[in-house]
Amino acid sequence: MIFPFDSLSAHHREFGLIVAVIIGFAFGFVLERAGFGRSPKLAAQFYLYDMTVFKVMFGAIVTACLGIVVFSQLGLVELRTLSNWATSETFLWPMIVGGFLLGIGFIIAGYCPGTSAVAAASGNLDGLFTFIGVIIGSFIYSEAFPLFSRFHEASNLGHVYLYDLLHLPAPAVAAAVALMAILCFLGAEKVEQYFSEKLKRSGNTEFENNILPERHSRLARQSTFATFGALALIACFTLFLTIRNGSSRSSALPLSQADLGERVLKEPWRLRIIDLREREACLETRVPGSECVPLAELTTLALSEDTSGRDLILVGGIDLNEVPAAAATYPGRVFILEKGFEGWKSFALTAPNHPGPSASPDEVGSYRIRAALYSSLTGAKQAPPPPPPAATGGTTKKKGGGCSG
Amino acid sequence: MNESHFEKPFWNPYLAGIALGLVLLSSFLIMGRGLGASGAANRIGVAVVSAIAPAHVNANPVMASLKEDGAHPLDDWLVFEVLGLFLGGAVAALTAGRMKLGILKGPRISSEFRLVFALTGGILMGIAARLARGCTSGQALSGGALLSLGSWAFMFSVFAGGYALARLMKKEWL
Repeated sequence: MIFPFDSLSAHHREFGLIVAVIIGFAFGFVLERAGFGRSPKLAAQFYLYDMTVFKVMFGAIVTACLGIVVFSQLGLVELRTLSNWATSETFLWPMIVGGFLLGIGFIIAGYCPGTSAVAAASGNLDGLFTFIGVIIGSFIYSEAFPLFSRFHEASNLGHVYLYDLLHLPAPAVAAAVALMAILCFLGAEKVEQYFSEKLKRSGNTEFENNILPERHSRLARQSTFATFGALALIACFTLFLTIRNGSSRSSALPLSQADLGERVLKEPWRLRIIDLREREACLETRVPGSECVPLAELTTLALSEDTSGRDLILVGGIDLNEVPAAAATYPGRVFILEKGFEGWKSFALTAPNHPGPSASPDEVGSYRIRAALYSSLTGAKQAPPPPPPAATGGTTKKKGGGCSG
Repeated sequence: MNESHFEKPFWNPYLAGIALGLVLLSSFLIMGRGLGASGAANRIGVAVVSAIAPAHVNANPVMASLKEDGAHPLDDWLVFEVLGLFLGGAVAALTAGRMKLGILKGPRISSEFRLVFALTGGILMGIAARLARGCTSGQALSGGALLSLGSWAFMFSVFAGGYALARLMKKEWL
């Protein structure tokens, strides 16, 4: 991990604050040079004859997004850890309403909070007034917080990302966003052209001299698109790499029935077992200690936030072919139970046969575990007596036999 | 603008976008944080009120939480980042020949009205940014780049809000 999470802890604090000023400096410099210190240029976004705001913002999002995804695919950062750290949780309705209100404030003020600071810094009093307004608005919110508090906390979905929502790997979503951006940019060029022509025809001479964006070089545009396309391809390529290596976090370890049986008996507190079968089937009989969460509802558990350090064990009806997206982000180890619940039935819910007198200590150990599981799970007082040959498993009370997967 | 030939032109928006993205990316990689603005404004407000009426800040749990354990409300990464933002903006404007005291507005509105609108819009955004846990920098840009669902919902909403009111505000800008 190349970024220090403790960069603001006492030890690194001064360094962190210096870096903060430097990063802020670069941020302000780029915003000013993009033209974001001037309200008419920003407001123009909403009259469609100058889409600079859209292009710069979306371009920056795509650049940073592809960058961070490629870095995380290379194993240099952990995408979800970083994201959970750097973003707020999703409060859907407050964010939608807040966004709408901020958009209204944006067109009235001609700036958003960040750009108003840049405008103020370059001598524009309207920018200064906007920034002071933002301070006052924040203060009003704190004063009136009891009024807002319920809505403020409403519809908290936790940390949710587009790749969770779409059940796709992050690089695929990032690449899709990049491609969408290129298409939107092409559209924005057309829209810009159409509306600036329209304004010119309306005879507002102020525009031609003053506000209309200069036509920028085709080369810069094309090379930007090429860069985005190339980065998107790299992101997708790294995706295939990690899938082949099996080193991706989403890959799970197989867990044998015997291992699960032993761990269920010896250290159940180290396990988080999730039964992904239909709820009815799971409620009827399941591996002891498992939660009944059908596959479709798995996202509701917010598994990525379970920091208990337990091993996650996924139990399907039969073998699970892949780790569900919602579990792939579990911070600890993820196991898939081999042969699923069908395997468990024949392993733990069927009376075991004694391995015989010539059995190795391992075989005897395994028999003991099976016998202990069988007796504790089926209500049998004890395991079938040792030697008698071929005790059939027909005496189980519940769910004996059946298909052994 | 008469002196416009003394000004350096703005950067190509696509290249500016990539540059901004690289700044954001380095912020993620070095600090593990995104960029922001409104959070700093909030802290500045609390600091000001705290200097004038400290008891008032202590009585308000939301504001008091910013000075927990005796910390100064301005003692925060975002405040320093916004300090840098001011400096960077000033240096960029200065070196591009755009540093000039003035009020920017459309041709059909008076300066007084423009400033009233600027303040009003700012107040609305201050409230909105608190509700949404961030503004266009912290929420849309930084959260958007990390593909956060709430950030994307927020971003679409910002544009929706802007376009919804644009017709009504035409006189301020066109």
